[in-house]
Amino acid sequence: MTAQAKAGWMHRNLMLLLMMYLLLPLLATGLYAFAKDWQDSLLPDRWTFEWFGGMFRDIRFLDALWTSFYLCLISVTLSLVIMLPAVFVITIYLPRWESFMKGVVVLPYAVPGVVAAVGLIRTYSSGPIDIAGTAYLLIGAYFIAILPYMYQGIRNSLLTVSAVELLSAAELLGAHRMRAFVTVILPNIWPGVIVSTLLSFSVLFGEFVLTNMLVGGHIQTIQIYLVQRMNESGHLASAIAISYFVFILLLSMVLMKLGKRMNGGVRG
Amino acid sequence: MLGLVPFVLVILAFQFAPLLSMLTGSIRQEDGSGFTLDYYVSIIQSAYYMKAVKNSILISICSSVVGIAIGLVSAYSITRFAPAVRDRLLMLSNMTSNFAGVPLAFAYIILLGNNGVFTLLFKQWGWSVFGDFNLYSWTGLVLVYVYFQVPLALLLLYPSFYGIRDQWQEAASLLGASPWQFWRTVGLPILTPAIFGTLGILFANAMGAYATAYALVGGNYNLLAIRIGSLVSGDVVNQPQLGSALAVILALTTLLAVILNHQMTKRAAWFSSRHTLKQASRRKSLYRRFTEAKGEAG
Amino acid sequence: MNDYLELQAIRKNFGNTRVLDNVDLQIREGELVTLLGPSGCGKSTLLRCIAGLADPDSGRILLEKKDLTQLPPRSREVGMVFQSYALFPNLTVRENMEYGLKMRRASKDVMRRRSEELLALVDLEDKRDAYPQQLSGGQQQRVALARSLAVQPKLLLLDEPLSALDAKIRKNLRTEIREIQKRFKMTTIFVTHDQEEALTVSDRICIMNKGVIVQDGIPEALYNSPRTEFVARFMGSYNVLTRSEAMRLFDRLDCMEESFAIRPESITLLNEAEEGNDRKDRVQVEGTVQSVSVLGNIIRYIVQAKDVRLTVDILNDGRSLRLGELSNVCLALDPSQLLKLEKEGA
Repeated sequence: MTAQAKAGWMHRNLMLLLMMYLLLPLLATGLYAFAKDWQDSLLPDRWTFEWFGGMFRDIRFLDALWTSFYLCLISVTLSLVIMLPAVFVITIYLPRWESFMKGVVVLPYAVPGVVAAVGLIRTYSSGPIDIAGTAYLLIGAYFIAILPYMYQGIRNSLLTVSAVELLSAAELLGAHRMRAFVTVILPNIWPGVIVSTLLSFSVLFGEFVLTNMLVGGHIQTIQIYLVQRMNESGHLASAIAISYFVFILLLSMVLMKLGKRMNGGVRG
Repeated sequence: MLGLVPFVLVILAFQFAPLLSMLTGSIRQEDGSGFTLDYYVSIIQSAYYMKAVKNSILISICSSVVGIAIGLVSAYSITRFAPAVRDRLLMLSNMTSNFAGVPLAFAYIILLGNNGVFTLLFKQWGWSVFGDFNLYSWTGLVLVYVYFQVPLALLLLYPSFYGIRDQWQEAASLLGASPWQFWRTVGLPILTPAIFGTLGILFANAMGAYATAYALVGGNYNLLAIRIGSLVSGDVVNQPQLGSALAVILALTTLLAVILNHQMTKRAAWFSSRHTLKQASRRKSLYRRFTEAKGEAG
Repeated sequence: MNDYLELQAIRKNFGNTRVLDNVDLQIREGELVTLLGPSGCGKSTLLRCIAGLADPDSGRILLEKKDLTQLPPRSREVGMVFQSYALFPNLTVRENMEYGLKMRRASKDVMRRRSEELLALVDLEDKRDAYPQQLSGGQQQRVALARSLAVQPKLLLLDEPLSALDAKIRKNLRTEIREIQKRFKMTTIFVTHDQEEALTVSDRICIMNKGVIVQDGIPEALYNSPRTEFVARFMGSYNVLTRSEAMRLFDRLDCMEESFAIRPESITLLNEAEEGNDRKDRVQVEGTVQSVSVLGNIIRYIVQAKDVRLTVDILNDGRSLRLGELSNVCLALDPSQLLKLEKEGA
């Protein structure tokens, strides 16, 4: 369906309404973060930066930020290291397994976080591997949570560059398999892989249910800290929320740029 | 082949083993011996847990239906804009889909909570209609759930509108159909699988939503996900068998919804397979999957 | 015997379907042999077996008397050009061409010299630092050809190299490929489903169907004397006749075959003056014109004669008479042009 050059007034108003509806909560959080106090008026009376200042002086916040950051980084890196060869092998050499893989990969979508957490706790709170409440368990859970993004991302990159043919061509020109993988497959799928890695990172950064249920009492990520702070200081919490949002926004902008460049590059 | 080993190990350890352990846990007696359905029976007999199941299903259906209605109208509307504007709009709504879970609940508390800006304003202006609105109630939860359902519905539905060719519309009008007749006889039937498929995803998304409800009402509102969460505190399961059985029930509902989506997606692909380039459809499905899971994000 | 490449009883199954059924083939040095057939006939699979990208279930592949069957692709000294080019998008045109030499640890000088030669050969000197996706399809395929020639393979395999290109570029490039092949006396196997392409480039054509080479020979032989109905239909617009149809047209047949073929251009339309006093060795048949279409240098008539639909091609030289639809005509058929076809699979 081709869009008309100019949309009718009805559609314009409709979209305006929708955008207002969608942006209002964001806007409110933003204003609240900068408001000295805000009560019974349409807009705050006085503005301040003190909440943001307080946020950066708050050791616990910085700790939580750091914890979130390195937990996500470790999980994403681990996922990359494990998934890259696995998806490569499956896509190139075991295409028959692909439909089975699709099922495996869809499971984390179909099984809600609460359910996954119950299973994980049951499995690892007793018995031979007692890692309940530790970061190991959380990283394992995170790995599964981002499985769909990583699998799809890597697989699609491989298909877009028609990896099978590139590999055949390289082998006929005398390259060993490993050499061919490193010289012609990896450089070509890299942009796509980066995109899914960043996406996974942003998903994990916003993760709450697994974190809260698996390690809630022991490890404080940014989301856990936010919930705690919500009941203490609203203004501070909104400063945190808005900073978090801006961070995710920047990340997704980078993502979009990368995605566009990759599509442009491959299609030419 | 060696590359598969760590992958298989991790999947077994963190995906299949937990699911299996949960499943067996829910049908095994407490001392670990013998098969029993007692936990399921006790859930069914407990008014409390049945209420949680009912609440969850109701809230999911309500928020999905409202979300899909808004999403459908918006998706149609969005296709009427020039591509540049359209992409902006999509980007904006995609952006807000990141705003889910804890921060979202918090934003609504600022706006409509007990001391929320609007709550106080309405009181001051004497708008009594909103006077007895309570964010921490059923209506409040639906309102917040709808918020995170709308962008998802929009992003999942709008590609289907591009499956409806201008030429079909032109052909229909040459054959004497009014726009309304076209939509009723051709347009909507083609969209139907996409609508039901999206409904499945939205339903599963709402059923599994935990962070939003947790941040908003804590343990005070009786929802299935919240109940499961409260049976599992920190690193111990208080009543492991009961928790497992509840979790299995929840997983069954979401699994059914996702299967519905799968069937419908196949149906939808049948309509469009012939004239969509392979490449394009592949990219679209990737995009779909990405947005799919961005649902309640935590 | 100077068989340069020899395939012995190649068999290959995919699951329960037989893709290659005991294929034997010998190719001389410097020869360009085309594997021609409809999609799914096994021609690409055969090519991939030779390259080592697919493993035959049984059979042997010998190149210069050396058994390749167990060797990995990189040790076979076989070059291949793919339908989708398979150029490495992260490397420039020149780097693509040098890739094979680099894998063989050639020195920088050698690589430079060789890639310059090849750039000149395929006339892409001004594109040496471009990336593949900045080139047109035809240019990309020329790079792919040069890339596979760079390592001086003993055998060049072309897997539908022209199928992804526009008609015009396709015609130019196929002449170019043929010239380069002749210049280097490169032993080449060319896979295509386009019979015109096969006729123009090949020294020899092997027609494949259902995993078997049904007929091979020089292009003229294949075109003029197809042995089976499949080949007759595939090679051109032959009129394929059943025995009873042939009986009706020719009155008598001095053979036992069940199926026959006659070329459209071997049938003549007689004008009134010629009617009745045509050459004695030809059979005259009355018919009705069903349709007329002008295909450039020939006019194609579909004529219904004695309940047989015949395609008749007449040279469009401006002098020949133009007949309208439904007009009655008299056809002259030469019995010596009637080809007897073997039973399928015989």
